[in-house]
Amino acid sequence: MAATVTASTLSSAASLSIRIKPRLSIPKPIKSFLYSKSPQFLSLSSHPTTITRAQSSDIDTSFFDNVNPEDDIVFDPPSPPEDFVPPPSFDEGPIETEEEIAAAYEELYGPAFSGESVLGNDVYVMDSKVKKTTGFGSKGKKEKIRDGFEERVVQVRRVTKVVKGGKQLHFRAIVVVGNKQGQVGVGVGKAKEVIAAVLKSAVNARRNIVAVPMTKYSTFPHRSEGDYGAAKVMLRPAWYCDCWRLVIAGGAVRIVLEMAGVENALGKQIGSKNALNNARATVVAVLKMRQFRDVARERGIPMEELWK
Amino acid sequence: MIRRYWNINLEEMMKAGVHFGHGTRKWNPRMAPYISAKRKGIHITNLTRTARFLSEACDLVFDAASRRKQFLIVGTKNKAADSVARAAIRARCHYVNKKWLGGILTNWSTTETRLQKFRDLRMEQKTGRLNRLPKGDAARLKRQLTHLQTYLGGIKYMTGLPDIVIIVDQQEEYTALRECMTLGIPTICLIDTNCDPDLADISIPTNDDAIASIRLILNKLVFAICEGHSSYIRNP
Repeated sequence: MAATVTASTLSSAASLSIRIKPRLSIPKPIKSFLYSKSPQFLSLSSHPTTITRAQSSDIDTSFFDNVNPEDDIVFDPPSPPEDFVPPPSFDEGPIETEEEIAAAYEELYGPAFSGESVLGNDVYVMDSKVKKTTGFGSKGKKEKIRDGFEERVVQVRRVTKVVKGGKQLHFRAIVVVGNKQGQVGVGVGKAKEVIAAVLKSAVNARRNIVAVPMTKYSTFPHRSEGDYGAAKVMLRPAWYCDCWRLVIAGGAVRIVLEMAGVENALGKQIGSKNALNNARATVVAVLKMRQFRDVARERGIPMEELWK
Repeated sequence: MIRRYWNINLEEMMKAGVHFGHGTRKWNPRMAPYISAKRKGIHITNLTRTARFLSEACDLVFDAASRRKQFLIVGTKNKAADSVARAAIRARCHYVNKKWLGGILTNWSTTETRLQKFRDLRMEQKTGRLNRLPKGDAARLKRQLTHLQTYLGGIKYMTGLPDIVIIVDQQEEYTALRECMTLGIPTICLIDTNCDPDLADISIPTNDDAIASIRLILNKLVFAICEGHSSYIRNP
């Protein structure tokens, strides 16, 4: 078991591609896959009885089928080459002077932040690559809409912390970020100035982006409810009736749905009216939704059965 | 990935004491597959598995080094700090010797600010500007310089996030491991019987208390990195 774990993780880690925002998922397939299947089955069939676990024959990819955890792992290294000399340990090798070490490092990485350049490269090479900490007046922060995401501010509030010397005021901004093609993110940021807070929350929002499942008429596949804290949100798709091309929802929910690009939906805030919690609750509700295609594939039935 | 010969013999590892674990009461039950026996109240790890993991880790490290990836070795135990520094210098990798400041990787932009300050202070020291300042200022700047040298001295050549991180003791460097996990950086971890083997990507069950065993493992990994570098030079 351990051997194939290392083999599969080796193959994933050995690719070592550039890391973009979605995190590199190390495959631990059986545990996560089974766990992700069972609650969905629960919500779809609304059975409060035993969780039906998927059989290993249902999954089309199988990682651990032929692994027996009781197997003994053998260690058979390949034979050494003929002229193999065991290398000296890192203490006993030839003692290198500082100059040699600095030269070797610089050959590999450039003179990065070391402050001295033995091979004659420019010492300040990292300045152009690093974003300088700009003061207030410079134009370094005017990077809006860098990657096709639009930002909308849901709420900006002035919050206070009372200390011995008096009151300390900060601004808390809640921003929803989205391209109108099904990706949204909700972020919070606090700072002493409104603009700084809005920027921080936009950065935070870009870190938690979620994909919204939509049909080809820009609406949801089915109803769903989501709750976060005391806020509960109910979302419903709209049919071709007189509420077409309308998003009927209030406040934070409306902004999240608009930024996602959903054009026909109904949403209601049941429970608390707190803007941040409602925005997060819509994200939770949206995450619970599944496309018809995926459900049909998992259950192994044709899609027409789902609409009966 | 080709498997090469890494000169791992079990007798050598037994002499260094790699197979000893911690006391029986402090174990983590997830280490059960890697523990072979219990002797005098101490768990004994299965050396064949250790050797197998070590050789796979060396293969991975060799492959990565031959593609010019950046490594970071983290080891802050005061027993192991010295050997970590020397091993990393020998392998031309970055290292963290003293306390792992929180957010070195996740808050990389702030760490870069500190590294820039470090570089500026070094430049001032080299050009001799520090002698022209009044004594108090000069003393303050020198103190800052030594402070930055102890904590960031090992990563002063790092231009971006590293590609592989090698951690020496999981219990001690839990923050470092968590940072790498949030960022998705593959990790190789030297694990003892009281650690969780599922957190790191490749976990090598060893004895993290004895200096000899840490030195042995680091030796093998450093050798693999050096081989990788030289193979890159031979055919880029």
